[in-house]
Amino acid sequence: MSLKSDFRELVSGRDWRGRSRTPRSAVQYREPSPGLTFPTAWTRSKPARTVRRGLHSGVLKPLVWAQTRPTVEGTEYLDGLTGPVIFAANHASHLDAPLILNTLPKHFAGRVAVGAAADYFFTARWRAVLTTLAFNAFPVERFGGSSKQKQASLAPELLDRGWSLLLFPEASRSQDGWMSPFRIGAAFLAWSRKVPVVPVAMRGTYAAMPRGEWAITRGRPSLVVRYGRPMLPHEGEPARDFNVRVADAVHRLWAEEDLGWYRALRESHAGRIERPAGPQGAPWRRLWEATRPLRSSSRPNRIWS
Amino acid sequence: MSRPGFVLEVDERTPSLLVHQGEGFRLEKFPLGTRVIYPPDSLPGIRDLDAAIRHALLNPHGTPPLPELLRPDMRLTIVFDDISLPLPQMRPPDIRGRIIEHVLELAAAAGVDDVELLAANALHRRMTPAELKRAVGDRVFRAFFPKHLRNHDAEDPDGMTHLGLTRHGEDVEINKRAAESDLLVYVNITLTAMSGGPKSVAVGLGSYKSLKHHHNVHTLRHSTSFNDPPNSAMHHSYHRMAKVVEDHVKVFTIETTLNGDNFPEATKFLQKREWEWNLRDQASLLAFKKANEMTPLKLRREIWQRNDAPFGVTGIHAGDPKEVHPLTLANVHRQQLTEIDGQADIGVWGLPFLCPYNVNSIMNPILVMSLGLGYFFNLYRNKPIVRQGGVAIFYHPMQNDFHQIHHPSYIDFFEEVLTQTTDQQAIESKFEKQFAEDPWYTHLYRNSYAYHGVHPLYMWYWGAHAMEHLGDVIFVGADRKAAARMGFRSASTLADALEMAKDTVGGSPSITYQHTPPATLADVR
Repeated sequence: MSLKSDFRELVSGRDWRGRSRTPRSAVQYREPSPGLTFPTAWTRSKPARTVRRGLHSGVLKPLVWAQTRPTVEGTEYLDGLTGPVIFAANHASHLDAPLILNTLPKHFAGRVAVGAAADYFFTARWRAVLTTLAFNAFPVERFGGSSKQKQASLAPELLDRGWSLLLFPEASRSQDGWMSPFRIGAAFLAWSRKVPVVPVAMRGTYAAMPRGEWAITRGRPSLVVRYGRPMLPHEGEPARDFNVRVADAVHRLWAEEDLGWYRALRESHAGRIERPAGPQGAPWRRLWEATRPLRSSSRPNRIWS
Repeated sequence: MSRPGFVLEVDERTPSLLVHQGEGFRLEKFPLGTRVIYPPDSLPGIRDLDAAIRHALLNPHGTPPLPELLRPDMRLTIVFDDISLPLPQMRPPDIRGRIIEHVLELAAAAGVDDVELLAANALHRRMTPAELKRAVGDRVFRAFFPKHLRNHDAEDPDGMTHLGLTRHGEDVEINKRAAESDLLVYVNITLTAMSGGPKSVAVGLGSYKSLKHHHNVHTLRHSTSFNDPPNSAMHHSYHRMAKVVEDHVKVFTIETTLNGDNFPEATKFLQKREWEWNLRDQASLLAFKKANEMTPLKLRREIWQRNDAPFGVTGIHAGDPKEVHPLTLANVHRQQLTEIDGQADIGVWGLPFLCPYNVNSIMNPILVMSLGLGYFFNLYRNKPIVRQGGVAIFYHPMQNDFHQIHHPSYIDFFEEVLTQTTDQQAIESKFEKQFAEDPWYTHLYRNSYAYHGVHPLYMWYWGAHAMEHLGDVIFVGADRKAAARMGFRSASTLADALEMAKDTVGGSPSITYQHTPPATLADVR
């Protein structure tokens, strides 16, 4: 075999960094990432915050807004709220974090740190630097990690210092555009630190830029960022139940897109809203439904439809 | 903490996988849905080996501590596994040498004068002085070679003792010096579940007269598999023979197990999971592969043979063989066992450059066959990874090339017997006696470095169970004539092989690839 064909065989299925995605059946056998060795304190310094502000207002926001049509709802719930809070959102795309960070009211925008997968964003120094600088990211162990890594988690410390957190409790971007169960980490943190959780539902981001894509699809797809009412654990409520309530709130916000606010509320109270898991059946049908374009909210509904 | 073994199901994310083929390897894109059996990650080796050896000798299982078994006027024989273990050869210092040094320290302290060291090479070729030196270490070699450190000679008319018959009427004949010793200390390396235990003395120091009772077509067909001793007729025979040995000789065994570190640092990518290769691994792989392909075959063999494995030792247990061996097997399983549900229509194996009988030598076509259909096919427990009547696909260039000194009877067997028949039972009845008793082969076995005359036939029998079980055998990349001589088909690529297999298993077969080396023992449920 020639070097060229060997090279072709080797790079087939790998990205430009030479990395292969872990086959699905091997995911549970991944080596624990070294993670958390990357210092992130510098990204919360004044110069880094200035650079980040410029990056968002000068590059990221114009870029995303030029190629998509985002609609933002529910920011009124955040008006009277002061930090720190935990924003808990569903996660389907690399667009999610920039969309949320650029749609938050000003009093939150500069004070949010984003939890990012230690085994993905913090395994190469250059990527860790970029992610940390652009999103004020800190590493989160998705797959347990060592007890030492868990102890070193920055999240509680950041909350204590008054930073709000943006966390994605599904732990990973959706494989097919539908939601996975919420892990307890975010709810437990809010429960133990007595800070409110703001549920956030993102719609349309999977269709706009799914896993594996690095560019937004053509045609300025519609996106929706919908904030919910801040939630605090009830007196005596276990963390696990609180997590279920947070997840239900995100499910309802997701359903609002299809049912409207009031009907979603009623269905939710009747216990008829479940985790959006997509249609059962062939994988293509799930993908098909997940990538169905959202009705553009910037255009008025035709009254005869 | 090492990760357990697991079964990968090839999906669209799976990169090309590494497949060994002789002194080289290739990257292969397997069809979606192919299941790939990976062994557990390499276990950590024992950090303080000397302490572990001392502990094993002073705290044996089922016998008093070794110092209590030693006395000045005794005949002590130390026997060790020969060149066929471990594979690849262990980076010096060899664990056998380290253990022997400790045993000799204790023997010296006890004032034992009559000490002999024997390589348990059975009907294998003799080890050269350099190979003996490497196995036992410089200090032991200098003190004992050549008079008291030697190879076992199964054809020495004055050097064998017939101990008796088993209850099945099997002859038990072992080395005379060992049989007449007051204590036989056996130093073993158990690389796979087939080695060690009752096999060590009864086979390692045995003769053709003794070995023919289990190294035959009938026994091997009923050894399913020979890496699963409770289901192996061959091991049942070993146990019967070990009982006779036990009645005559006091055996103190020291068994060791190794981890899966088969490749040195520079080629570590060969045992990493492919989707975990970083850029450096990939660059090393491309550079190494290209350089390897450009290297002339002879030099390439030399380079691969010098690939000393940086094995770590995962366990040392000493004492009564019956009590020690289960502990050893547990360690082997900890390193090699991976569970898989169900059998496949097609099994795929990449055959590496080395089998037990071509260390510092050439892997001739018969050894390729015995490695594939013997050793690799039998790397299972419960059921073979391929269903009855399924197809086995092996990768190996299978050059028609023989080592003139090590394998003289192999050449004649290939040229004169396999041209007449490949039927194992016909070969056994018609040719075995002739090859086993040929005086020229016997002379070469005793005085040169040749395998015993009967050895190629044994290697042919080694595939008896696989040949009976399989519907077809295809070698990818093999010399067509050599493969055809042995009754196998050859293909240029996996796609061709799968196309050829259609006749036997249909158009959409299930496929299992056993990813090895390092050795993977499939526990098929």
